Amino acid sequence: MTTPAYLGEFEHLLLLAVLRLGSDAYGLDIARELDARAGRSVSRGALYTSLDRLEDKGLLRWKPSPGSPARSGMPRRLYAVTPAGLTALRAWRGTLRRMWRGLEDLLKEPTS
Amino acid sequence: MSVPVRLKPATTDATEAAAPPRLAEWLLRRTLPHGVRGETILGDLVEEWRERGGTRAATVWYWRHALSLTAGYGRRGERPAGQAQAGDRSTHMFLDNLLHDIRYAFRSYAKAPSFALVILATLALGIGASTAIFSLVNGILLQPLPLPDPDRLVYANEINSKGDRISVSWPNYLDWRARARSFDALAISRDEPVTLTGTDRAQRLRAGRVTGNLFLVLGITPVLGRGFTDDDDQPSAAPAVVLTDAFWRGQMGADRGIIGRTLTLDSVTHTIVGVLPRAFEFPRFGFPRPHDLFVSIGPIAGSPNLTDRGNHNGFSALGRLKPRVSVETADRELQAIAAGLEREYPNTNSAISVRAERLADRLVSDIRLTLLTLLGAVGFLLLIACVNVANLLIARGAARRHELAVRAALGGGRARLATQLLVESTLVSLLGGALGIAVAAWLLRLLIAVAPDGTPRLDDVRLDGTALLFALVASAVCGIVFGALPALQASGVRGRHALVRGRAAGFAAQSHRLRRGLMVVETALALVLLTGAGLMMRTLQQLTRVETGFRVDHVLTTRFQLAGAEWTVPRRHAFYADLLSRLRALPGVTNAALAYSLPIDGSNWNSIFIVGDKPVPERAKLPSAAFSPVSAGYFETLGMRLLKGRVFNATESPDSPKVVVINETLATRLWPGEDPIGKRLKQGWPETPAAIAPWREVIGVVADVKFNGIASDTPLQAYLPFAHEPSRSVAIVMRTTVAPTALAPALEGIVRGLDKDLPLFQVRTMEQMLDTSIARQRMSMLIFVVFAIVALALASVGLYGVVAHGVTERTHEIGVRMALGAEQRHVIGLVVKQGLSMAVLGTAIGVAGELALSQWVQGLLFGVTATDPRTLAAVVAMLLAVALVACYVPAWRAARVDPTMALRAE
Repeated sequence: MTTPAYLGEFEHLLLLAVLRLGSDAYGLDIARELDARAGRSVSRGALYTSLDRLEDKGLLRWKPSPGSPARSGMPRRLYAVTPAGLTALRAWRGTLRRMWRGLEDLLKEPTS
Repeated sequence: MSVPVRLKPATTDATEAAAPPRLAEWLLRRTLPHGVRGETILGDLVEEWRERGGTRAATVWYWRHALSLTAGYGRRGERPAGQAQAGDRSTHMFLDNLLHDIRYAFRSYAKAPSFALVILATLALGIGASTAIFSLVNGILLQPLPLPDPDRLVYANEINSKGDRISVSWPNYLDWRARARSFDALAISRDEPVTLTGTDRAQRLRAGRVTGNLFLVLGITPVLGRGFTDDDDQPSAAPAVVLTDAFWRGQMGADRGIIGRTLTLDSVTHTIVGVLPRAFEFPRFGFPRPHDLFVSIGPIAGSPNLTDRGNHNGFSALGRLKPRVSVETADRELQAIAAGLEREYPNTNSAISVRAERLADRLVSDIRLTLLTLLGAVGFLLLIACVNVANLLIARGAARRHELAVRAALGGGRARLATQLLVESTLVSLLGGALGIAVAAWLLRLLIAVAPDGTPRLDDVRLDGTALLFALVASAVCGIVFGALPALQASGVRGRHALVRGRAAGFAAQSHRLRRGLMVVETALALVLLTGAGLMMRTLQQLTRVETGFRVDHVLTTRFQLAGAEWTVPRRHAFYADLLSRLRALPGVTNAALAYSLPIDGSNWNSIFIVGDKPVPERAKLPSAAFSPVSAGYFETLGMRLLKGRVFNATESPDSPKVVVINETLATRLWPGEDPIGKRLKQGWPETPAAIAPWREVIGVVADVKFNGIASDTPLQAYLPFAHEPSRSVAIVMRTTVAPTALAPALEGIVRGLDKDLPLFQVRTMEQMLDTSIARQRMSMLIFVVFAIVALALASVGLYGVVAHGVTERTHEIGVRMALGAEQRHVIGLVVKQGLSMAVLGTAIGVAGELALSQWVQGLLFGVTATDPRTLAAVVAMLLAVALVACYVPAWRAARVDPTMALRAE
């Protein structure tokens, strides 16, 4: 296995959103998911260029699906996370865990 | 990766009638990847736009994301569709880079919208104002006259011993015409307003009395009938009239069968012989209204008034030079002829010479200096705007040095980075220029609206191609020149050094020095503009404070002309007496009088004169005075002061002894230290027979009044009683207890009741006359003040920016100082001192510049010198006060720097 590509925070969020949405994740859904769960209102410019970048890195793939009249018949891109994408996510989680270890007391949520 | 499938858009149906903004979609189609990649994104956007209801808010949303996508994909670049042809490669690259730079520029401005807005507003103001003033200058001074071959048109006047222009005597003109070889044709003309009767209502018309060859000189052929010929100059010729197109259309219903019909002008029947082309306009020489018609000179050519060589009856000459003859040659030739005439006719022509100049120059000679000064002022304003923009760009370059350094480190070449910055500045300048054109169009309308009546060639002023080109060039130059400074600076960033964020970068210091230098220039320019405005304000103040010598308020004036043989002298006397008694009986009128000439308005009759108890000087040194017949009650109506003796009263009658009232200037000039009462003077030459010019006894001396405008010195003046000189051209003056304009209808009613064929013209109050006489100065002052305010605002904002930036750059240093015990007031003092040093240096340079320019503006000033210390001191104080405020605000902020924070920022 090659070393996983370096990923930024936003890219991680994107991969997670695609995973959560399952088989029919397309741009609009991904944007909504990010908004709902991560509280990120994301500009479409950042969204699509980041998706393209993840595709270039081999972490995402997509297939076209026919469009509906609501989108003037224009196709959708349905995204899925590739095995390499899963590997990268796991590696990231591992890193986070290692870094968190021993800090739980210090950084625990305020209880009041 | 799946294989992209090309899907055709579905056919439109009712549910998708609404569409997102087309322009945004067009923009997206240009920037997004082609094929299915792009379409999926567009599809997502459309879908969401519809979900959001397709409302205005949804459209705003769509635009926002469309722009973010344009920015995002513009930066990412398209995947190459194919290799470019090798030969096209460099052009292709260049265009590609340029396109990229433009996109990048848009993005970087979009990131700092307030910065872009400030630059745009500054440039729009600078370019707008300068384009508007340039249009004015272009239309009035630069555009050729709308006449054939206008450079060969020459205007000539006679000049007297003092070098003043006087009008051309008819016999002198005839000799010029016979002897001069420089001209294809030489004509003369004068303005001679006429009264048109025989129509529904009598009308006052603007007419020119011209020689037969005038239209030949101007190169104009009538479109209907004929022009005048030399035959029309013969005293035996029948009176003829040529109509302008406007009069023919407006008053004659554009009747093509008009030739041969007649018009009654000043009670004389004139035959219509021609109609002039539509595009033609005779040079107006300061009159707000264009001419209505032209009458031939023949009918008056034999009159003794005209044939007397010593009479200068208001004519001026217009000549068309032979090809390749210069104006100077013609001028010299005419002077030689005048010298010959002086020898031949010493009685009338001593010390009379001539001056010829280009007609185009003569037309605008009064306003040229004003316009050029305004052009210079607006040039300064444009410079200030540019300096401010350069300052902003440099500041931005400094703020972006990290970004630039990153790009340089990643392999961005110096030239490439410089180009990028140049593209940015040029782009914003061109946008500013485009906005500026809108500003200019608006300003120009305003300027034309407030331009004083009689401003020459105002009809030729428009925002034309030349002006647009000016705006384009001005903005491009702004962009390139003032973008080049920061571009050169910023592209010099050494990657390694600047990557280290912090105070050590020498670049910051360097850019700060440049900005400080520019600030000094800006302050200097602002000072010059402020001084100009101050001087103009003082001028206007002085003009409005001038002691006129009479009471200006509550005076209504108007004029009429009694034309025709039926107005015999007894009939005139009766008419005047009748008119005056009716006017004085009007409710709200306390006094009324008649006069030939009015104060401020200027003299209509200037003549040399001799006095009875002094030796007659040689002819060239005979004194000259403004003669004005006035009715009894004139001095009282205007509220003039009687210094000695008495003024005219009811005892003056046609048969009473001939008397004269003189003004103080005449009294002290002719009889210094003597009592002038009882002395005698005679208007005219020593040999003029007493039947024409009797001796008159001085019965009173009145205080001087401003006669020719408000800025000129009062001439020698002699008032004659109307009873002895019942002139046909008459001004009415009335003193009222109510608002004078309210009485205008009643006044017109009275005159119409006496004679329905007597149109009144120039109905105005004395205050309006005063206002008109200083309208040009008022306009200059207004423009200057507006410019100065803008300049001051720009300079103070610029100064604030530089000082604030300096404080930011020196946060660390200030922190250290405060940690070492510097007190707040020391820090404030330090920052203010540094800021003010720029302002002081700029002010000093500005004062020097103003002194250097002072000679130039002196001609526009009145009652104040261009180096007036009071004005300069006030301006300097004001500028420094504003500068102090602009420096104090950032200094105060600097003093609140928390030393621990400032040091920790490292």
